[in-house]
Amino acid sequence: MTDDSGALSIDFIAGFTIFLLAFIWVLSMIPGLLIGLQAYTIDYDAVAYRTGVMLVEDPGEQVVAYPYYPWQSYGDQEKEKAIRFGLAVSKDTPNILLQDKVNRFFCVTTSDPAVGFVYPKDYKDRLIFGDYRFNISLLDQGQTLSVGDVRPVNTSYGYIRRVVKIKSDSNATIDNPYMTTHSFIKSDPVLTHVFSIHINNSKLLGEIINPAYQIDPPREQMTINITDLDDFLQPTVTLTAIKICTMVKNPSSATCYPLTSSLSYPYVDGSNTRTSMPAPVNENISLRFNPQYFNDRISAGVGDIFIVLRFDLSNPGLFLNNTQALPDFDTMNAETTFFNPGTGIVNPNTTPFDYNYYPENVTQPRLRDAVLEVAVW
Amino acid sequence: MARLNDDAQWIVLMGFIVSFSFFFLALVINQSTVVGQTTAESVIEFPKNDIRDVREAIGKSMKVSSGFEDVRSDIRIISMNRKSAVVNYTNSSATSPATIWIHYNNGVTEYNETWTKF
Amino acid sequence: MVKNDGGQLYTIEGFAAGLIMIITAYLVVNATSVYTAGDTHINDMQLEALGSDALRVMDIPVSNDEHSLMQDIIEDTDIGVNNLTFGTTFSSLVNNKTGSSRDHIQFTANVSYRSTGDTIDSYLLNNTRNLSGGEHSVRATKWVIVDELHGNVQPRAVLVEVLLWRD
Repeated sequence: MTDDSGALSIDFIAGFTIFLLAFIWVLSMIPGLLIGLQAYTIDYDAVAYRTGVMLVEDPGEQVVAYPYYPWQSYGDQEKEKAIRFGLAVSKDTPNILLQDKVNRFFCVTTSDPAVGFVYPKDYKDRLIFGDYRFNISLLDQGQTLSVGDVRPVNTSYGYIRRVVKIKSDSNATIDNPYMTTHSFIKSDPVLTHVFSIHINNSKLLGEIINPAYQIDPPREQMTINITDLDDFLQPTVTLTAIKICTMVKNPSSATCYPLTSSLSYPYVDGSNTRTSMPAPVNENISLRFNPQYFNDRISAGVGDIFIVLRFDLSNPGLFLNNTQALPDFDTMNAETTFFNPGTGIVNPNTTPFDYNYYPENVTQPRLRDAVLEVAVW
Repeated sequence: MARLNDDAQWIVLMGFIVSFSFFFLALVINQSTVVGQTTAESVIEFPKNDIRDVREAIGKSMKVSSGFEDVRSDIRIISMNRKSAVVNYTNSSATSPATIWIHYNNGVTEYNETWTKF
Repeated sequence: MVKNDGGQLYTIEGFAAGLIMIITAYLVVNATSVYTAGDTHINDMQLEALGSDALRVMDIPVSNDEHSLMQDIIEDTDIGVNNLTFGTTFSSLVNNKTGSSRDHIQFTANVSYRSTGDTIDSYLLNNTRNLSGGEHSVRATKWVIVDELHGNVQPRAVLVEVLLWRD
């Protein structure tokens, strides 16, 4: 019989314990070996970079269907037609953002889809393409516009910063000095005064082709302010109606019809809502035609447009007047009032205000610096 | 003859088994090292800004009032010298229809573009 | 009485086994390398995008038919003259953030041009600090077409190169 009285507890335990301890310690070093194989963490910087490129270098995308409005001009009822956000003026002008797109993009709501894009779902579907939290901020002329959560302080996040230029909208201000210099005030003792504005889209798009400096009414908001009307009150003035006259050269046609699109009605006397006509006017009128309106006209083959305003005075006297409406406003014939598109014969008594590239007439689109930051986590 | 007492050799055996399996694991991991490229590296490697920039410079050079050849030599030689990229372009108004041909090659990425005026 | 030390066998075997495992583990862990992601590349990419953006924005004319700021800077700067307009403009473009804090990006900018005999010369345009060699810097470049260079009125192409780094 083997005598194993000596191979007992203490020695065995001692030896086995030493072995076990070493074994456990070695086992704990295995995760260190496997670090190189761990599942890749999400590269938030890549998502931030991608988002930055889409915002700064891409003009965005909308459904390809008639009437081909750009994504930012769709109203809140048709938001789903904007497929992807992008703030650049065009594909050929990276780092130059369009004011209208910036305004639309940062018009954010958390609940009411009728007010703007809903955060976060609308943004995740159209820009982030993933279930990340994000923050997009734009520093523009000292103001910071922002979409998204507050950036975390304790965790790291993916980040990119881009330097951009923002293209402002063009606008025109027709004030007293301008009216006087250009003889827009007629002192004929009549009750009805007619004022017209000429917007020739084809000429505007043809004279300057660089999208960064172009005046583009079908795609960018333009504003015409008629001010200082209180200098000429008689005592009361009414903006009775607005007509639109369209000129087509080939085949030659010129038609006038009333403005019925309520999205293009004027703002009168600094009001926040568009006014339907007739409307009393005391001081100023602001015409902010919806770009979709010009877009529709262009789609219909018309690029040359006159906006004709009719004012009715309580007493005959001098007022804003640059158009000889023939035979009269209600039955206006565009060919005799303005010019014949086919023959080119012009009515010398009509001198419409031309929305063009001369700085003394129209404040041109200017480019100003801005900084865009994207954070994703 | 007294046999060597090999009662506890199983402990050493366990030790050896663990060691060998450790070695094997290391071998397997060593063979499975994944070589990849992070997104940031691909972004840096692709010369997006370079190509865009040289395209715009070439476009502007087409509109200079004089010295087109000087500007073209500037772009070609400075590009080779400072950017390590071969850039060449032509403004072939001699051919009909007039074409512009742009070539860029920085050793990793090559870019060709042809414009034809009708 | 015979000391019964037969159990010491276990202890010794235990020690030996433990020693073997520990040495193996040490050798193995030292041998396999841990592959760390290239962290510096992310910062490089961000800096390069920022530098390229700032240079591009400086070379966009504010309105049509005007010179861009960059073109005026190059045309007005002689060799050896530090152009402060470039310094302040580029520094503010690159360091402005939307929050209240500013970034701390330093840079040094050169202009490369082709001189006689097809040699390329460079001169300093502006820098926030001289390079000491220890900085990890990223390069951004921009082509500028100018109408006159160093007094010669003739269209030329020059390359503006900027090295950027964070302190």
